[in-house]
Amino acid sequence: MLLFRAEEHIDRWCSEWSQPRGAPLTIHQGWQLARAWYQHKMDPDWRRGTLEETEGLLIQLGLTGPFWSLR
Amino acid sequence: MWINIVDMNAAFDVDVRLTLYRDFIQTGRAPSAQRIAQIVQAPLDHVRAALERLAAGKVIVLQPESREILMANPLSAVPTPFLVWANDRSFFGSCVWDALGIIAMLQTDGTLETSCSCCGEAMTITIRNGQLLPIQGVIHFAIPAKRWWEHIVFT
Repeated sequence: MLLFRAEEHIDRWCSEWSQPRGAPLTIHQGWQLARAWYQHKMDPDWRRGTLEETEGLLIQLGLTGPFWSLR
Repeated sequence: MWINIVDMNAAFDVDVRLTLYRDFIQTGRAPSAQRIAQIVQAPLDHVRAALERLAAGKVIVLQPESREILMANPLSAVPTPFLVWANDRSFFGSCVWDALGIIAMLQTDGTLETSCSCCGEAMTITIRNGQLLPIQGVIHFAIPAKRWWEHIVFT
């Protein structure tokens, strides 16, 4: 996951590196995702989320559609 | 008996996980398997087996040859373009998501110093009191979600 100044910089990067365009996120969405994903990782009872839990998290953050599907 | 061994492994793996993360945070460097073994006072081969189980469980990523830690996500053991300052220390995240994840995991204020992946212009993201300070920019996920772990180093 990379950071860009603007959407057109993503397009330029994808073109230069011959990469298909993926999905853009606002930095706020990225921060919310990072928080939900990692904030408890140093807790003794932390465990990886199940498929269903992870799907629920992505939906909660508004990350829906084929790109965000885990199945 | 089998269940007891599984339970013992699970408890040991938690011990190894917590030890490696705490030491990484405290020192700013990924601990070697040898160092973890010294801290938890366990044989090196037991610690290496625990690291392999943690890697198989997608908790950490090991280096391909040495089998030392490459990523204790969100922390990266090797330098990357995503430099995080938090708790008076610096850390590297494997990507922008992980870099922000370091600040989230430490539950503290922090700053991510990086640059636009296209043009190289410097960009700084600051988190204060759990809130993102205003900044212009956009994150790009190149790999669809279901293939993230399959391409974890690139992702």
